[in-house]
Amino acid sequence: MSTTHRFLIAFVAAFGLATAGTAGAYHTRFVADNCNTNAPQALSPITRDSAITVALKARYEGYQWGGGCWNDNNVDDSPNDPTGDPNTGGEGGDCSGFTFKVWRESLTESDAGFWQWNKLRKVHGPYTADRFRQGAGAPNITYAKSALIKMDALASTGHIGMIYAKNADGTDQIIEAKGEAYGTNIWTRTYRGSSSYSGVRRTGWSG
Amino acid sequence: MDRTRIPRRALAGIAGLLAGVAAGTVVAGAAVAHRAATGALEAQIEATHLPPLLTTPGEQVELRYDIYCLGGEDDPEGTPACDADGTVFVRAGNSGPFREVPLSLDAAAPEGRYVARVPEAIAGSPSGFSYYTVLRSATSGASLNLPAGGAAAPQRSLRLERSVDVQLGAHRFGATRVADSRVAEAAWGDGPDDVGLEQGRNLTPIGGSTFDVEQGGTVTVLDEANKRLLRWRPDAPEPVRVPLGSDGALADMALAADGTVYLLESASTPGASPLVRIFGADGAAKGTVEVAERTASQIRMGPRGPFVLQHPSGQWMPIADAGSPLAVQTQRQGGRAGRPLPGGGEVVLLRRGAEIRAALVGAGGVRRSWRISSETPLAEVQLAEPLGNRLLLVARVYTDDEDEFLVLLLDQSGIVRRFAVEAADWAETAPLARFRLAGSSVYQLGSSPAGLFVDRFDLEVK
Repeated sequence: MSTTHRFLIAFVAAFGLATAGTAGAYHTRFVADNCNTNAPQALSPITRDSAITVALKARYEGYQWGGGCWNDNNVDDSPNDPTGDPNTGGEGGDCSGFTFKVWRESLTESDAGFWQWNKLRKVHGPYTADRFRQGAGAPNITYAKSALIKMDALASTGHIGMIYAKNADGTDQIIEAKGEAYGTNIWTRTYRGSSSYSGVRRTGWSG
Repeated sequence: MDRTRIPRRALAGIAGLLAGVAAGTVVAGAAVAHRAATGALEAQIEATHLPPLLTTPGEQVELRYDIYCLGGEDDPEGTPACDADGTVFVRAGNSGPFREVPLSLDAAAPEGRYVARVPEAIAGSPSGFSYYTVLRSATSGASLNLPAGGAAAPQRSLRLERSVDVQLGAHRFGATRVADSRVAEAAWGDGPDDVGLEQGRNLTPIGGSTFDVEQGGTVTVLDEANKRLLRWRPDAPEPVRVPLGSDGALADMALAADGTVYLLESASTPGASPLVRIFGADGAAKGTVEVAERTASQIRMGPRGPFVLQHPSGQWMPIADAGSPLAVQTQRQGGRAGRPLPGGGEVVLLRRGAEIRAALVGAGGVRRSWRISSETPLAEVQLAEPLGNRLLLVARVYTDDEDEFLVLLLDQSGIVRRFAVEAADWAETAPLARFRLAGSSVYQLGSSPAGLFVDRFDLEVK
């Protein structure tokens, strides 16, 4: 093997190792390095606008199945996690964990109160998208889809997203943790009319 | 002095290692810096607004906004500190000086809490009115124009003086029409003739997110999961495969007459706007364009190039002109309320509760318009295309348990053709990509657990 070949092989190997963290690496330490399990604080009821401000903190952050911890740097800090593994320790909520945290719900299903969950508090909450769809938990009720307004949600057996705004063509802008390839963001969706989706309302808002 | 001799070959390896680490660190650092830079672009104020694009005589017109301040306290409790206000600049018609109307807070409103009432003299103008709004956060000092083009591209509201009223009554579910022909069909999978399916644990199935139909009947489906187009020519049972270098999750697509493919990708780099990727008819990459706004719903061809429906402005903005990509500022300055049609003119839509308003607009204003009301709730308008002097409109009707698409062919006397088709939406697509008009047939992109298909429904009109 020539000297040049040795140089090139060593270069390629070292380059690959040095850049491994920028793409494709999913053995992340995001949760271990950043998240906490602090006790939540009880809140007075909050407004829908306040909940939207909470949701916007998570915009442009990652998606993590079973997750519920994110920062606010507008970067998916753990891209390309395997979608079916809840234990990769990546950044972001999944759709139901994101909704639980934005809606400021309690881990106790019989409690309809509002709770302060910091963005770096790792918590998913007790509800799957399907259980939200059924109106499970004291704060949550099913609601007529045609009457839903901002910060109400549309849920199917496998997904949930919250209404952010209505569009002139009858679609909605939905804020949601969509999936590993998408992260958390605002997209135009047609969930409202689809029979796969049901209307869900978090009750108790102060305005 | 005893000097340790290092073989030349080992030195080459060490040098390679050091150079590789250095180069890799520079690249990784640049990637992080890029992310930080795109993240820093996030505005400090967000707003939403449902524009009253089409109004009727005697209607009291209010402009309502919701404003959200960002970048304040971490995890705000209760009501966040958002000391916002704004001013609407409004005028009759589409030229002349604007009149300032301040926004006031309607604290009792659940949505659209910041409101300005358009003065009667302006709202009642036969040519409608145009407006833009400057929203401000006193907390951060940030401001936001809505629409983003401000005075250069104000939002346009048109007045419908003589609309055709269409009463749909209560929709009867289950009486759907069978397609005249199934013109394309593929199983889910990664085989040569399959269409791929994205399917994470918490995702609804996503696959074949958009399609288009040429006038001659050739159907093109975006097989995003397998990174290709599948083209079914009439009378050819097997599709032609065209590889595409795209990561277009839930992408929408517009095909130009010369075969150029414009792909609107919905998922983008965090903090950045969605991308339009441009490909030749053979799939060769030709370039990319970053759209101006955070959310992009739909891409369609206009007279000189593609337009993208963007939010929060709620306007169609040009992306390229005669093949040349347009800068963000140029996109904003070209924003308009209606979708520009390839042959000239525009279609303007507004769904308001259980009513859809639709107008065909020319240089002189509204040429024809319809007000379609329904006792069954109406969701999105999937398609609104002129067909001669008529309008083909496809909208979803729904209850909490059922949904179908209603196909309406409208003329100046009302409904020419009316039928319903099954929703057939097992897999998620781009939001407004399920129907196309080609010739005098409407095509539906449908799906089931078995696979994807495109059905043709002939309108039987000349």
